[in-house]
Amino acid sequence: MSPILGDINRRDFIKYTAMTAAALGLSQIDVMNKVSEAMAASSSDKPPVIWLEGQDCAGCTTSFASTLNPPAASIILDTISLRYHETIMAASGHKSEQALHHTVKEGGYVLLVEGSIPLADGRFCMIAGRPFEEIVLECAKNAAAIIAVGACATYGGVPAAGPTGSVGVREVVKNKPIINISTCPVHPDHLVGTIVYYLTTGKVPPLDKEGRPLMYFGESIHDNCRRHAYFEEGKLLQDWNDPEQKNWCLIDKGCKGPVTYADCSVRRWNDGLNFCIDCGAGCRGCAEPIFYAGMSPLYSDPTGKAEELKKEAKIREAKRKELNTGKEVK
Amino acid sequence: MGKRITVDPVTRIEGHLKIDVEIENGKVKDAWSSGTMARGIELLLRGKDPRDASYVTSRICGVCYSVHQLCSAYALDDAFGAKVPTGGTLLRNLVMGAEYIYDHMLHFYHLTALDYLDVMAIANYKGDDKELLAVKDKIVGLVKSNDTYPLTPRYKPDEYCVNDPDTVITAVKHYIDALAMQAKARNMGAIFGGRQPHYQSIVVGGLTQYPDINQVLQFKTMLDEQAKFVEEVYIPDVMAFGTGPLFPLAKMGLGGGHYNYLSYGALKTNPPKNDLLFPAGVIIDMDPANLRVKPFEAAKITESVKHAWYKDSKPLHPAKGVTEYDLDKENGYSFVKAPRYEGHSMEVGPLARMLIKKDPALIDLVKKGAKPGAVARHAARAIETKQVIDACYKWIDQLLTEMTKPGFKIHDSENWEIPDAGEGAGFYEPPRGALGHWIEIEDKKIKNYQAVVPSTWNASPRCDKDVRGQYEESLIGAPVPDPDNPINVVRIIRSFDPCLACAIHLIDPQSNEVKKFIVE
Repeated sequence: MSPILGDINRRDFIKYTAMTAAALGLSQIDVMNKVSEAMAASSSDKPPVIWLEGQDCAGCTTSFASTLNPPAASIILDTISLRYHETIMAASGHKSEQALHHTVKEGGYVLLVEGSIPLADGRFCMIAGRPFEEIVLECAKNAAAIIAVGACATYGGVPAAGPTGSVGVREVVKNKPIINISTCPVHPDHLVGTIVYYLTTGKVPPLDKEGRPLMYFGESIHDNCRRHAYFEEGKLLQDWNDPEQKNWCLIDKGCKGPVTYADCSVRRWNDGLNFCIDCGAGCRGCAEPIFYAGMSPLYSDPTGKAEELKKEAKIREAKRKELNTGKEVK
Repeated sequence: MGKRITVDPVTRIEGHLKIDVEIENGKVKDAWSSGTMARGIELLLRGKDPRDASYVTSRICGVCYSVHQLCSAYALDDAFGAKVPTGGTLLRNLVMGAEYIYDHMLHFYHLTALDYLDVMAIANYKGDDKELLAVKDKIVGLVKSNDTYPLTPRYKPDEYCVNDPDTVITAVKHYIDALAMQAKARNMGAIFGGRQPHYQSIVVGGLTQYPDINQVLQFKTMLDEQAKFVEEVYIPDVMAFGTGPLFPLAKMGLGGGHYNYLSYGALKTNPPKNDLLFPAGVIIDMDPANLRVKPFEAAKITESVKHAWYKDSKPLHPAKGVTEYDLDKENGYSFVKAPRYEGHSMEVGPLARMLIKKDPALIDLVKKGAKPGAVARHAARAIETKQVIDACYKWIDQLLTEMTKPGFKIHDSENWEIPDAGEGAGFYEPPRGALGHWIEIEDKKIKNYQAVVPSTWNASPRCDKDVRGQYEESLIGAPVPDPDNPINVVRIIRSFDPCLACAIHLIDPQSNEVKKFIVE
């Protein structure tokens, strides 16, 4: 039995598996045949989802809506029952609030939260006349699972550096496990994959000490970076205009790869099209709890980690050179 | 005394907005627009490395992130004295081109179309088009399973909602298609922007993505697909709706407002030359028969906080700053301030740009009786999307020529280091309208930062003279026969493409005037 889902019965399991199959593009009938011998399941039993937005920029929504594989439209219309999402839903005003209250009353939904929660004064984020903190607490109570989506909802993100006392969900909802999917904005693969993992297994995926799924946040950006070989050679980009330096290591431009744990270097973004390091800008550390304030100045080395690694790499490079020239290494 | 109703939250917009209206005799008699969320993005930049600004201000909005990154970079270019090489300008323009395409498409199909469609009419589709039948199956399936979220609940469709099954089913198919198209347009921008949302590569002095020829060809191929969709689907849909079922709303002038329009001007068509795709200008109290456009003067902008949750001060130029929060203020009802131009409440955005440009296609619609208002805003978006696509093709050609020359540059590497002190301003025309960023640097750190964004203009509350903001004014007279079903209220508000996370900004009490203004 999962600590947050409660007791999943067999019918629920079929329902979730069918939903997962839809997300993966499998035919529901195929899966039904595999899973069930006796019980009838209605394909219309889509898992209910509430997506709240607090002190957000809608960037995580946009990121989710821009996923092509699987397409966002199929997730929204075929896979989940999206009961509440301010940026997407047809309803406004009292109509939208009715949908929210009805779903909360029913319980058993997946709660997604985007945006931070202002604790300095509830009036910094009011929706339908209520402080966002109150709405989060109310929705958390009957949720089957809670996922904090993006840097702001996980650890406070950019607004945490400001005057409104902004925090992530884990600072407000204390009595339930929170799955933290950081980065600014959320990577759609991380979000969709985590939801499907949960609906398939009924369990929270293995998490790191910051509540992030290990399957996405287990390794450092720097270790997996394809510019790593240039780093080892001491080839560090200084001028964006020089075609020879185009693929060199960005550590001297403040790349936060060494202090950031996420799989961006391998997964990349936007269906593998590009990402922060490939475009020559460098990682800004948006997966980490100290982002943004702790990563600033963004184009320098505030943690001192880069200098440390550069010294070590210099020693390794010197040793390699000596080996290559056949001299004895002490 | 009329009946007062509140729409909170106004959904299918970016950010948190509350609209209050007073209804009398089935029409809106008075209106109040309230932004209900603040983060203090500008305040948190104080004391930071100025180069952080273009990265952080992107987070002002997750829909129109690139425009803040660019406008901030313009302000930094100005403050650092950086000269962006032609290659850098062309690449920045291409990223902005992608932004225009996805933003307008997303707005029409995903944020606003449901206000004009009775989706359930799909059940009556009798045709035999396979793709449309698949859409019918999908929607009918939702109905049968008694789970039509997120398409319901909704406001009841009124007499202006399209309920012809063929039209509705085609529009819903395009809603689904456009969701993929807007994602692809964002990805197109990410070729040079780095990744989306929140592009990475635009920095002070230019751009970090050194392009290769194959990336340019990839961009062009993706642009071809967008151009086809825009010309064959998006523009025909908007024009068919605007001149067909929605023409009564256009003729009625639903959502007209003050008829004052402002554009800062943007996008050099042939850099480094200064010709702009969208010219700057001002129209006060528009007369369609005699369209008079005056030059824009940045010094004529002031901001009032009389009805905003900030400590009182007299109206000031935005760069002069004001304020600390005052959440208990008696007259306050919004986090949005009230910018005014020579004291006038202005509309910014596509309609303003196309009127100021005296665009023949839009003027033609106006001559045919479509008064500037909610429907005309949708038309203006479609018209300018095509203009941006045409410009992108020219920028691609120019970029290919430039990048194959020796010494091709994308960045001003001479001016990457932070100056000890400086001031800068950047002006741009994002899809939603006039955007300005201001920065002041002292001891190599940000002393003051400020952004006045499109939705600050449009969504503003009343000013010191109690003149309504443009959202508020545009609601006056709107038909609301059933107070439980204020569909015209949300139609009007959504026609502006609100971006409330953008609109709310805080400024530092100690800032000084920024004297220089540049228009890119």
